[in-house]
Amino acid sequence: MKTKTRKNNAMQKPKLVYSTFIRTTPKQLWAAITKPEFTRQYWGGATNVSDWKKGSKWEHHFEEEADPVYIVGKVLESVPPKRLVLSWASPDNVGDKSRVTFEIEQVEDMVNLVVTHDSFKAGSTMVKKVSRGWPRVLSSMKSFLETGKGLNIWYDQK
Amino acid sequence: MQKPKLVYSTFIRTTPKQLWAAITKPEFTRQYWGAGVNVSDWKKGSKWEHVFEDESRTVGITGKVVESVPPKRLVLTWAAPNHLADKSRVTFEIEPIEDMVNLIVTHDQLKAGSAMTKGVSSGWPRVLSSLKSFLETGKGLTLTCGH
Repeated sequence: MKTKTRKNNAMQKPKLVYSTFIRTTPKQLWAAITKPEFTRQYWGGATNVSDWKKGSKWEHHFEEEADPVYIVGKVLESVPPKRLVLSWASPDNVGDKSRVTFEIEQVEDMVNLVVTHDSFKAGSTMVKKVSRGWPRVLSSMKSFLETGKGLNIWYDQK
Repeated sequence: MQKPKLVYSTFIRTTPKQLWAAITKPEFTRQYWGAGVNVSDWKKGSKWEHVFEDESRTVGITGKVVESVPPKRLVLTWAAPNHLADKSRVTFEIEPIEDMVNLIVTHDQLKAGSAMTKGVSSGWPRVLSSLKSFLETGKGLTLTCGH
């Protein structure tokens, strides 16, 4: 048992899991993730652009910048307003592809959002970036949905 | 063998002083931490207890204040009163950033696979979500966990 655990630890790829509880509805949360008019209010001015159908392309845009596409990928699963699975890569390095899963579950008057970012390639440079990013984006998303106002999340990058 | 180390980072539109008060003062804690309050004088070396505020006044968690630097850093030991040997450590780090505060909660020195590890893995996301709601909207979330 011990040996097995150790082996698993040594071989384990990074898997980031973020669980947050938000006083909102699954539909509002789904819209906040997928509709640019909401996303730009909390995701540091950025938007997610797609028709959100399985197999479709999706892009993460910083609209104000000359070269706006920061992340590209495919919609791997799409079950509104419950589950969205995306592939995720920088357009400059599409080989360094990972996977993001949004799971949305209603709990009383709240929603439990679990974001899992995994399937990183060995030596991925994306892990470090998104480890810094997700706590900010998810904090700001919760503020936006509960108070109408997101946070200034890229305070150190502008 | 690696021991579990849980790290939670959250950004809250508040001040370090308000956040410190929310963690340490029962009149705030009871508004977002389920039925529990944290009781101590918050001096280094003092005892602290997480007490459920129902009629039983059960002590859910007990420990010592290891470090206390208001409103920046609080380090506590953490154990169930009926299982004191399974002691772990919780660190609250509070950093102001523009009009926000970044709170980082690290729960480490846990035992792999213990009931405590499982409990706090489920509990912290709820408590920290409710803390943020409380500080930003004045109302915590309905927490049914923690017991």
